This record gives sequence, structure tokens and C-alpha cells, in this order.
Amino acid sequence: MTALLAVARYEFRMQVRKRSLWISSALLGGALVLVQGDRGPHSLPVGTPAREVVGTWALLFAILMPLAYGMLLADRLVRDRKLRVEPLLESLPLGAAARLFGKYLGGVAACAVPGLVALLLAAVTELPKRHDPALLGWALVAFAVVTLPGIAMIAGFALVCPTFVTVPLFRVLFVGYWFWGNVLLPATLPTLTGSLLSPIGSYAASWLLGTPVLYAGIPGPLPVLRPEPTGSAAAASIALLVVAGLVPLLAVGLLRGRRRTA
Amino acid sequence: MDIAITGLRRSFGRVTALRGVDLTVRGGMFGLLGGNGAGKTTLMRIMAGVVAPGSGQVRVGGYDMTTRSGRRDVQRRLGYVPQDLGFYPDLSPREFLDYVALLKGLDDATARRRQVGELLDMVGLADVAGRRMKGFSGGMRRRVGIAQALLGDPALLIVDEPTAGLDPQERIRFRTLLAGLAGQRTVLLSTHIVEDIAQTCHDTAVLAAGRVVYTGSVTDLTRTAEGATWQMTTTGAPPTDGVVVSAVTREGGTQYRVISQARPSPDATSVAPTLEDGYVALMRRHTPAPAV
Repeated sequence: MTALLAVARYEFRMQVRKRSLWISSALLGGALVLVQGDRGPHSLPVGTPAREVVGTWALLFAILMPLAYGMLLADRLVRDRKLRVEPLLESLPLGAAARLFGKYLGGVAACAVPGLVALLLAAVTELPKRHDPALLGWALVAFAVVTLPGIAMIAGFALVCPTFVTVPLFRVLFVGYWFWGNVLLPATLPTLTGSLLSPIGSYAASWLLGTPVLYAGIPGPLPVLRPEPTGSAAAASIALLVVAGLVPLLAVGLLRGRRRTA
Repeated sequence: MDIAITGLRRSFGRVTALRGVDLTVRGGMFGLLGGNGAGKTTLMRIMAGVVAPGSGQVRVGGYDMTTRSGRRDVQRRLGYVPQDLGFYPDLSPREFLDYVALLKGLDDATARRRQVGELLDMVGLADVAGRRMKGFSGGMRRRVGIAQALLGDPALLIVDEPTAGLDPQERIRFRTLLAGLAGQRTVLLSTHIVEDIAQTCHDTAVLAAGRVVYTGSVTDLTRTAEGATWQMTTTGAPPTDGVVVSAVTREGGTQYRVISQARPSPDATSVAPTLEDGYVALMRRHTPAPAV
């Protein structure tokens, strides 16, 4: 447990210091703020419940900001080999699983920081107009239910996939996946858009806003993953996203453990 | 910590790195010499528990390295400086040592901080302990490498090619540091730089093409070239009989140092061998003659 927490702690420290994390988050978040138009959260009339205002902000940021997280997490596992630290780490009395899950936890935590900062900043900028301190509390809730589960899922794949394909190729594929799996309508192509497994957080955002958003529950392939957007469906989506992020880690953890024994 | 290896073989795909290594190491500083591709790094990685042995017996401090639990037990008592060790550029040496200490299981924060501070002092990096390692020189990085290896006061220290690429002053400093550490533990030094062994080790083994071709004292290895080390000065072509160890151009011609069983030229004089001469003589014996 100590080793896992140590890896998580230092992975977090190294990643949260990366300028690229902050620059890319600021650019994507800033672009979304600028192009939100009159349907965006800032244009919601005074008197709109804090939950709805912050939920709309969370939804807005969820459209593009996770792209930055996926890109940045892509080199975290292969980085040890690239930096020639791997032989040393392999000589330490530390299991492959502790290293893998520690990196995952640290990576998720580091990516979560700009996500949380963006939502808190949005809530703070809304305060003078709406005079509702509940905005800050809802910002934390929106972060926990919309932003974080998406990061948890992305992180699992972004860490593991580049051990099988190159980092640049993964990044290209990830951008393609993001628009295919979150934005493209099932009527155009079979896609996961609007399903419980959509890391953009459409089910959780629908629960926050009290109305289906971002195609949550839209008819498409795998209807079992497209229930009516309700509170329990949102909870199921959150759980599924977290589990989905852990699946690639478990698979590669088993594989590495076996390889070390061989 | 004693090391006992018998019949160790290890292949990677079609490449056989070790072809039946037999080696015994008892405490103190022990040198492992060999050319590039001789199998030194594979042997070191096996002893560090990074790679599992293919076949044969490897016991380190009584622990069986063919089992996962044995490797883990050794790793708890090990300090390892891998060949060409890299670092996280975004961490300072203090943070890097703290990280490795945590991974080694040094849970007590106060004791860990104290040990990290002492080691940074010992390797002369206390002044830059908080600076990120991005701009560190090769020598400074090696010193961080040795400091991390000493965390937890290991009984076995494995150091793989530690002086490659260092300037002469750094090399001497590093060698002295390593030799000083051998008093209380077993230090295994792998290198292809003969001088490093000559200056630090009493006992050594020589590896060639995945086999141990010599094991014994450094003095006895030097004696291998006794009666076969020659010096001659000529303005003509270099001697063809034997191996030229050095060639120094002087006023009266080029002075050659040659390893040869027979006198390479009538004016060649027999000289006392050095460890390098002994190593060359030994390798000459174990290198197959080129096909005609």
C-alpha cells in the first residue's frame, strides 16, 4: 500500500507540474468559454438554480477538456522506459500492480486538478451575477459526477494503450475516438454517443440539469447501455466509467505479472 | 552477502546472453570485467532480480533467485545502479531519493528525510538538493544514482558500468566512493574499464561470450601476461605478431606495447605487465581466431 501511494504521490507531483497540462487545459477551456454563445451557461437567466448553472458549465468543459488529459496521460507509463528509470524501478521490492495503479491514481488526480479549477473558476465568475454561494458546492458535485468519472475512464486507456501502439498513434486515435464516441450521432455511424459508457458524462449532466442533454439515452447500438436518463442511470454510468477505466489496467497488470514470473 | 552461481544460462529469443556461468563472490568489492556483449549486464540484472534466470542455480545471500519470493527478498537488501540510469527531469535529487526510499519501504518520514540528507551530503549534492535534475551533468547524475542505491543501507550493492562517460576526475572520485562503501557490504562492480577494477578490487571475474573465463585475484590476472608483455620502438609498420595494447608516437619512432607469446621483434624488450595486459592476454586466449 505504501508503494502504491508513493507512486501515486510522485506521479501526481510530476504531472501536475507539467506546463503542458495547464496550457492545454487553459486553451481548450478558454476556447469553450469564448465560443459558448447565447446557449452557454453564462447566458442562463438570473434566478436559474445553481445546480443547473454549474451543471451546464461542467457539460461545456466536458466537451473538449478531456482531450488534453488523454493526450497528456498517453506517455506516462512508457515514460519510465524512455527516461531509462525502468531498470531501477524493476529492481525495487515493488509489485507491478502497485506501480501501475499508483501511476493511474496519480495521473487521475493530476488531471482532475485543472478540471476542478475550471469549474471553481466558473462558479466564482458567476457569483457576482447570481449571488448564490451554493454555486461553489454544486461545482464540487458537478466535478465529482461529471468530470472525474470521465477522467477515470480515459486515464485507464491512455496509460495502457500506448504500451501496445506508439504514443503519437494513440493520440491520433484518441482524438478520433473522442468525437466518434461522444459527439457523433448513432444515426450516422454505430457509436457509443449517448450511452452509459460515454465519458463526456451525458447521464450525470442530465441528472444535474434535470433534463436529457448531450444525447443521453439516444437510441443506438447496445440499447442496454442506453436507459432513460435518471438518477440511478447516472449512478450506473459513473460506476461503469470507473470500472471501464480499471479494465485495461487489470489486463496489463496480469500480463506484466506473468511476464515477470517467466 | 555471498553470491553462488552454478550453470547459469539465459537467452532472449534466439540470442544467448549467458552460456553456463559459474561464479562465487564473497563480501567486499568484486569486479566483473568483459567487453561489450559479454553478458555482464544480463548477469547483473539477474542478480538484481530484474531478470529471472533461465536455468541453473543463483543464490544471493542464501536466497534462491530462481523464485519470485527469493528475488523479492534480495531486492529488499539491494542497492542497484543500472547501466545508463536515467532520472525524472521534473524531480530534484531530494525528491527522487525520497521517492526511491518510499518504494524501498522506508516508511518513517523523519528517518527517511534524515537518510536522504546524509546521502546527499555524502555524494556532494547537498547544495543542489532542491534543484530539478534536468540540467545535471553526467557526473552529478551518477552521484544521485549511487545515493539512491545506498538508501536503506543495503547489504549488496550492484553497480553496472558506473564510470562510462565520466571525465577523469569524476571517475576517480566515483571509484574512491565505491571502494569506501565496500567495507561493510558486498559491492559488485561491472565495467569494461580495466583501470576501474585495478584501482578498487582485490578479486575479479572476466566474462567473455556469456562464460566466465577467469575468476581470481587481480594480481593473478595481471600475471597472465607475465613473459608475454613487450615494448618496442620502431619507425616501420606496427608489429603483426600479437596484440598491440598501446602505441605512443615519440621522436625516434612509435613505441608499441605488445602482448605476444613470442618476442615480436629482435629489439623488443620484456616488461612487467599491468592488469590491462593481463586482461588482453586472457581475452586473446579466449577469442577465436578469425576465419581465413
